[in-house]
Amino acid sequence: MPPGKTAEAPETGRKPFVLVEDGAHGLLVAAANASARTLGISPGLGFTDARARCPDLLHEDIDRKADQDALERIGHWMIRLSPLVALDGPDALMIETTGCDHLHGGEDAMMRQVSALLSRDGIAHQTGLASTPGAAYALARAWPGHILPDGEEAGGLATLPISVLRLSADAETLLKRFGLRQTGQLYGIDRKALGRRFQSRSAADAVLLRLDQALGLRHEPVRPLKEAPAYTARLPCPEPLLAIEGVSAGLETLTRTLCQQLTGLGQGARGFAFHAFRADGEVSSVSISLARPVRTPRHILRLFGEKLDRIDPGFGIDLLMLEARRPGPMEVSGPALSGDLAASDTDPVLLAALADRITAKLGEGAVIVTSAAESHLPERAERNVPFDGAPPEPVRMPSFHGPRPLRLIDPPEEIKVLAEVPDGPPLRFIWRRVPRAVTRADGPERLAPEWWTWTAPPPPSTSPEGVDRKWLNPKLDRRADAALIERIRAELEDADMGEPVPNLPRARDYYRIEDTEGRRYWLFRQGLYEDGRGGAPLWYMHGLFA
Amino acid sequence: MFWKTFVALRESHKPVRPDGMESLDSLAREQNKNIMEPSPLDIPGVFRLDQRPDRPDPDFPLKLGSEGVHEICEAGHGDMAAMTGFALAAARPPSGAIFWVRQHLLEREHGRLFEAGMDWLTAMGKPLVTVATRRPGDTLWACEEGIQSSAVGLVICEVQGLDFTASRRLTLAAGRQGVPLILLLPWRHDGTSAASARWRVSPRPSSPNPFDNRAPGHTRWQAVLEKSRQAPHMAGRLFNIELDHETLSLRVVSGLAADAPSPRPAPAIGQAIHAARQDRRSA
Repeated sequence: MPPGKTAEAPETGRKPFVLVEDGAHGLLVAAANASARTLGISPGLGFTDARARCPDLLHEDIDRKADQDALERIGHWMIRLSPLVALDGPDALMIETTGCDHLHGGEDAMMRQVSALLSRDGIAHQTGLASTPGAAYALARAWPGHILPDGEEAGGLATLPISVLRLSADAETLLKRFGLRQTGQLYGIDRKALGRRFQSRSAADAVLLRLDQALGLRHEPVRPLKEAPAYTARLPCPEPLLAIEGVSAGLETLTRTLCQQLTGLGQGARGFAFHAFRADGEVSSVSISLARPVRTPRHILRLFGEKLDRIDPGFGIDLLMLEARRPGPMEVSGPALSGDLAASDTDPVLLAALADRITAKLGEGAVIVTSAAESHLPERAERNVPFDGAPPEPVRMPSFHGPRPLRLIDPPEEIKVLAEVPDGPPLRFIWRRVPRAVTRADGPERLAPEWWTWTAPPPPSTSPEGVDRKWLNPKLDRRADAALIERIRAELEDADMGEPVPNLPRARDYYRIEDTEGRRYWLFRQGLYEDGRGGAPLWYMHGLFA
Repeated sequence: MFWKTFVALRESHKPVRPDGMESLDSLAREQNKNIMEPSPLDIPGVFRLDQRPDRPDPDFPLKLGSEGVHEICEAGHGDMAAMTGFALAAARPPSGAIFWVRQHLLEREHGRLFEAGMDWLTAMGKPLVTVATRRPGDTLWACEEGIQSSAVGLVICEVQGLDFTASRRLTLAAGRQGVPLILLLPWRHDGTSAASARWRVSPRPSSPNPFDNRAPGHTRWQAVLEKSRQAPHMAGRLFNIELDHETLSLRVVSGLAADAPSPRPAPAIGQAIHAARQDRRSA
């Protein structure tokens, strides 16, 4: 039963004022206040025409982005009423209140509460509440402050003008030309007959769809601003909270309530969000994420403790709310009494708790584990992935390769090398501007390139435009096809003549090197001499042995 | 290197002073040894015969990686890899996961830890959880969190530096929780600290490879125990350590053996030039 709200307001006794924006033929009126509307100035009118009707018209440029942001902010604030709040066009909000009205003392009291909240902040508004989004839209615009009981949409909307049905301007004009001005007149018309009046079938279908949605005959999904949380606990404050101590006490109460709720369901959650709704229409929120499902109040409070000072009480907080997101079943098992019986000597729960504390302070992705990946390239064979609560397995590399360095220079750094041609180990090299002399060398260990990951760059097209267009043109032209095939064959034959193909992946020859100071390096030569894949091979420093 | 050793042999006679101040002299020498005053003989691998330890010290790692806070520092710039390897090889396999805290800045300078390389150094097949940090304060904080949670068995931390207060705090936490901490400190870290021990590690030329005399053999390091709270009498002791890559066992070797240079044959490039000249002449 969503009520809608419009940002328009009856402002009488004020100067005519309009917001303008650039149109195709000069400035257009984008919005007008009530006194301007009484002069016949409506949105869509040219600004020069409006100025002609009212010479002392005040105007300003419209800032649609700021309007959208302000509306979203109010939408987030309205989450205090119901978790599902959606934007409805540029000037309205749609709140799904199913199951929430009893928290506020019934539908009538809830709508009065919405009005009171918005009036307190001086936001002009109109409300309507009905069982379908379409009917609520119509009520909020044409019959503000009214509530339609469930199942009485047809009767309630019958006398409202057709413009409340969210139709396109063309369809509305057409219906008005038929003399159909009220919604109720559409009920009795034969649907096929109505369809024939329109130019296209889709235009007729759009009208019928909107009518059916308003009457509740067809479903209309609402896209909420935020995904609904799995579980929620609320704590309204009798008096606005100003001190952070009150907020932390409230959070403690909420956490205990929510954890009790989760315990009853045998669930835990991997994310918690804490919202403080301020009286002045703002929300301050903090959230934590956990590696495993958790429902221990102490752990949750400790993680929030790091971030609670980011909550700004402003002029007072009148509602606190704690949400649990991403729920999951808890694995509850006591620790093994004997070390021999334990699967591993690492307690996953404690490890996850440690990771949570570090993530809460240092941010997402601070705790990482290594996972092995299938790749020939050493820097890609180990990937860092965020810790997800499962105790990591030690990375076991296949043992058919040579020794690997302990520290990897990633990405590899280019070095200058004096080495025997074509494939001798380095004799001297300069890395980071320090010349180093090699005393001992081991290698090479060849790592072949991954040809399957390489995609050929498109060859430079030298053909006239017409030939390539033939591929786009579905017409068959055998002569042109034959010419193209001939040309490609000739190009391929040219490529076989020993011309080096750039960008092809090259093999790496790795050497284990020891210098005069006893430092051990892992460096490689990218490519071979005369492998037809570019110029002379380059050398790179890739790792340091212990 | 050899002739220096012979010099050491010649100089190894104890100077006997005529005025009977021999005991004071030896006392002064003891003190000199403790404060690591450089002497002409303070060259790695060269020692006086009378000071040579008869047998390698049985309690060599001095509870490195099994108790307390051990600082491992660079002897020269670029020894970070040797420090890391020494720490992993000397540490006792922990009874839980390894918690590795690393500062992003050092990762850029000295490379990142490559887990495939750990198999070649240590047999501890323990899960490794890494924390990547930006600021030194966060790095030390993550260390303390790791020590205080009883989830991990060993904490290893790469940090650009720490002051006395931080080291005292970490030492107290490590002592209370019984979780060992190894600090890897680059850039010739120095100054007061509350840590249990400070090691200064540098790489040494590796042992001769029996299968290929041009290839490096077993890895060797030199570790100087600069100070130790557990064994203060061993402060200033120099260890030459060799890691057997097949058995993954560390052994303390004598300095002379550690420094035996393996001859490298003349570079093949010379031979190639010679052969080319021969060819040209015959042609």
